[in-house]
Order: sequence, then structure tokens, then C-alpha cells
Amino acid sequence: MKKFQFLSLIILFSSAIKAQNSDEKKILLTSNANTFGVSTINLLDPYLSPLTYSGFGISYEHENRRFLSTEKTNISTQGKLNMEASYNLNPQSTSSMMFLGVNYSWGMHYHFRPAKGLQLLAGGLWDADFGFKEVPRNINNPVSLDLATNLNLSGVAMFDVRLRKKTFRLQLELQTPILGYMFVPLNGASYYEMFDLGNMTDAFHVSSLHNKRGVKSSFTIDVPSNRSVWRFGLNFMNVKYSANDLVFVRNELSLVVGTTFDTANFAGRKNKVPKNFISTNE
Amino acid sequence: MKKHVIILLFAVVLLPSCMNEPAMQPNTYQGNFEALWQIIDTKYCYLDYKHINWDSIHTAYKPRVDTIKNEYAFLDLMGSMLFELKDGHVNLFSDFNETRYWKWFQDYPANFSSSLIYNSRYLGDNYLIAGGFRYAKIDNGHIGYMYYEDFMNAFSDSNIAYMMKYFDQCKGLIIDVRDNGGGSLDYSKQLASYFFKVETVTGYMRHKTGDGHSDFSSPVEIRTPASKIQWQRPVVVLTNRMSFSATNDFVNRMKQSPLGIIVGDKTGGGGGLPLSSELQNGWLVRFSSSPMYNADMQSTEWVIDPDVKVSLNATDEANGYDTIIEKAIKLIIQ
Repeated sequence: MKKFQFLSLIILFSSAIKAQNSDEKKILLTSNANTFGVSTINLLDPYLSPLTYSGFGISYEHENRRFLSTEKTNISTQGKLNMEASYNLNPQSTSSMMFLGVNYSWGMHYHFRPAKGLQLLAGGLWDADFGFKEVPRNINNPVSLDLATNLNLSGVAMFDVRLRKKTFRLQLELQTPILGYMFVPLNGASYYEMFDLGNMTDAFHVSSLHNKRGVKSSFTIDVPSNRSVWRFGLNFMNVKYSANDLVFVRNELSLVVGTTFDTANFAGRKNKVPKNFISTNE
Repeated sequence: MKKHVIILLFAVVLLPSCMNEPAMQPNTYQGNFEALWQIIDTKYCYLDYKHINWDSIHTAYKPRVDTIKNEYAFLDLMGSMLFELKDGHVNLFSDFNETRYWKWFQDYPANFSSSLIYNSRYLGDNYLIAGGFRYAKIDNGHIGYMYYEDFMNAFSDSNIAYMMKYFDQCKGLIIDVRDNGGGSLDYSKQLASYFFKVETVTGYMRHKTGDGHSDFSSPVEIRTPASKIQWQRPVVVLTNRMSFSATNDFVNRMKQSPLGIIVGDKTGGGGGLPLSSELQNGWLVRFSSSPMYNADMQSTEWVIDPDVKVSLNATDEANGYDTIIEKAIKLIIQ
């Protein structure tokens, strides 16, 4: 009888340990969002024209956010890739400007949780920005390249609202460049001289608050449905920068829609795919 | 400390902007006149070189703007003002017309006849065409003749290699760039590169660094490379007054080629690389922005003199002879 009781205790204890381990095993997820947008845009590029060109554009953005580890849930990394294209006209509609832009940013935020359902993130993002503007009508200066890298201050406010058994997330994101490096040639320097003759004098400049100021803001709402979480939002950008007595401006307002989802990464010998996950790599 | 941080943040945001966009002229005849005058005043590169008193031109033309009744008359008036620059690279483009200065060739003999170069003595009917060139052997196969009418026509090393192979038995080459109004400086460099054995500094370029009439950068070298494909026999370049802009640049390079000879009339000049800007009414203005020089730092804006000055003779022309081509043939043969 005693042997039976002892064995029972051992079995019970082992089960208890297994159950506890299963409950405590944490998996780090990456939160992703893919959004598509339509925008109105105003561009002033004095290398191409003294006039502001206005038009419409489309964009795609992929964003991911992930805590550093399952233990460090106060610090997250964020990566964002934004691509856009727009077609713009001068005020008299006598000339067009095509714009293509790509921006990649990566950085970290510290999460404050001052109240239930509220998160405030503060941190920084480094970005690489590439833009290509073309005014086909121009002669010998039809193209202007935007090349820049920036360190940005970044802040995010997330507020979860529970409504009719669903949790809606409201998110406000603000970003402003504080330091960087950018390509702005002299107004009279042709791309022939810069790229054919190799004269890049006075074409690169340090940027900081004295010559580059702007804000990128985004207000979104995540709406859960049965199998998806939809994201709707407004993005706003206003950036002004100056060098070589030239002032460049970009104003943009976008309406975006997309989805958000979480993914888990499994790879390598120490992080194999769990047996109850089905993978095409297996 | 918190207070100081907040004040600093506000200060940063509310600092008076040192990035004020330049004030725009209104979209009126006066406003567009002022904008055009200012573009030339701050960006045109030859005001001092040509001794043009641009301020006095403003004084002379401003009152006339008030008499303008429609955009046709306004374009004519602005065209007259730009005419004062005497520059074939200066144009104002509206939706209905473009202004131009053509006296750099209109006031001179043509020294070229397309019907002459296509007669049986030269290109004939069975000439070959490649990369924008029309070419044939002339003078009983002793001379290679190439006509290149536009430096916007792309060509490749392969095109040129085939042409040179075709002319393999010829004693020399004639490259005819008469009536070639210019195009791409890259093609000018590329075409000249087949006639240089070593990379050579053949010119210089400067650009404006400020609004002042003499605010220019230090000269930057323009080099003509030596192509892997080489023609190392005599080459004669034929020019006339319509050999302008990129053609002018090509002639400048070839003047420094060891085996190059320039024959014909002076070129039309056009040594300023043009850029463009816009007026508030949407019109485009093109203007010379970056002055170019030869290897001796002499401006190439005005004409380039040929090594051998020859004009088309009317009698020769009537008999089907192009005097300039014939002179080039004699120079190669002797």
C-alpha cells in the first residue's frame, strides 16, 4: 500500500512538473503589418523647378515589431519598409514629375505601461531614404535624386479599447529626424559634371535640426474580425530640408488599409519547429 | 530638469525657420517677367563673359511688359529680351511656340548640301547605316566617309568596330558633322575616344556656385579616354556654322587628337551646358549654365576655327562636287 502511494505521488508530481513547464514555455512573436495607401502629395525640388508639383500616389508599407526576448518585454525592435510612387503636375499642368521613393528604417523602443491597455513607446529609428524624381520636360536636369540617412526620434502611443467583446487598438506614431547625412548638389551643378566627370564637390551635407526638419505621423486603428485584424489609418508627412541655398519640401497625406498578424520564427537545431506546427520546410 | 527639456523641445520646434522657401513671383505678366529675368540673372553663366548689362535690360524691358495684351505678345517680348544674350542654348518654351536665337548660323553661308552628300560621288544610294551613321567608301575606295547628323543618335563600340573594319583598306577617314546641331556630350566623348591613343585632358568645365555673375567653381577636367577600338590613320572632321553644342565639343576634342584635322567653316559654338527652369505660367526656360573650355582654358562658347578653312564653291556644287569633302580627300591623300 505504501509502495502504491509512493508511486502515485511520483506520477502525480511528474505530471504536475510537465504541466507547469508547458504553461511557462514562452514563444516570441513578431508583430507584422502590411498596408497599402493612396496619397496626395506636394513636392518642391528646386533642382528641377522652382514650382511645387502636386499629385496622387500609391504606397506599400511593411512593418514588424518584436520584443528583444521573452524576458525583455520592455524593449522592442521595429523595422519598416515603405515604397511609394506618385505622379505630379506643376500648377499650370504644363509639366509632370514622376516620383519613386523607398525608405527603410530600423530601431528600438522602450515600452512604458502607465495604465491598463495603454503603452507608450519611446526610442529611435535609423533610416535610409532613396527618392527619384523625374521631370521629362527638363533639359540636362531631368532627374533629382534624394539620398539621405537619418537618425530619428520616435514615439508611439498604443491604446487598447474593448468594445463588444473585441479589442480595438488605436495607435499614434510620431517620428522626426534629428541627425543625418544627405545628398544635395549645387543648383548649377549638372549630373553630367557630378557623375561623368566625377565632381561631387559640395554635394553631401550633414543634416540636423538647423537644415532638416520634419514629422512623419501615423494614426491607425486595428479592427479584429474573425480571422484577420484589419488596419485602417491616416499617414501624414511634412519634411523640409535645405542645403546649398536650396529648400526642398515634401508634404503627403495618405489613407492606408491593411492587415496585421503575428508570426513566430523557428529555425536551426536549437529552435526547431514544434511537432504540432506544420511546415513546408519539414 | 524636466522643465528645461520641455523648453528645449518647444524651442527646437518653434525656432524661426532658417529654411524659408524663396518668395514666388505672382503668375502675372510682370511676375513672369521678373521670374525670367531673375533666372537669367542668377543662373546664366555668360553675362560677364559676354559683357551683357543685364540690369539695364531689366530697365529697358520692364515698362514694355505693361503694354502686353496676350500671351503671344508676351512670349515675343520675352523672346526679344532673351535674344540679347545671343545664345543658341537659350529658349523659352510655351505651349504654342518657342523662342530661339539662330543668328549663329543664319547669318552665314550654309556650307552644306544634303543633296550633294547623297550623290553617287559620295554616299550614293547604297550607303550603309549603323548607329546613326551613314557611311560609304569614296574616292574609288581610298577614303572612308561617315556622315553623323545628330549627337542624340546612339551608337556602340560594335557599330564603330564594324565601320572601321569596313574602311580597313582606306587611307583615311572623313567624319562629316556639318549641320549636326548637337545632342549628348557622352556620345561626343565616345566618338572622339576612337581617335586618341592615350587619355587626354581636352577641356574643362565650371558651374555656378552662387547668384553672382562670376560665382563659379574651380575648373574640372574633361578627359577624352582612349578607346580599345582605335583608328590610327588620318581623320578629317568637316564642320560648318551649324556644328553646335555637343558637336562643338566633339570638334574641340578632335582638334587635340594627334591625327585629327578640322576642315570647313567655323563651328556655331555653344560651349555652355544648358539646364532648365520654369516660370509661374508653366513655361520652360533653357539657358547656358555650365561654361566649358578647351585645354587652354579658352571658352568654347563662341566659334571654333577649323584648321583648314574651306567654303562650298557654287560651281563645284553645280557640278556635283562638295568642295569641303574634296579638300578633305586631298589632305588625306597627300
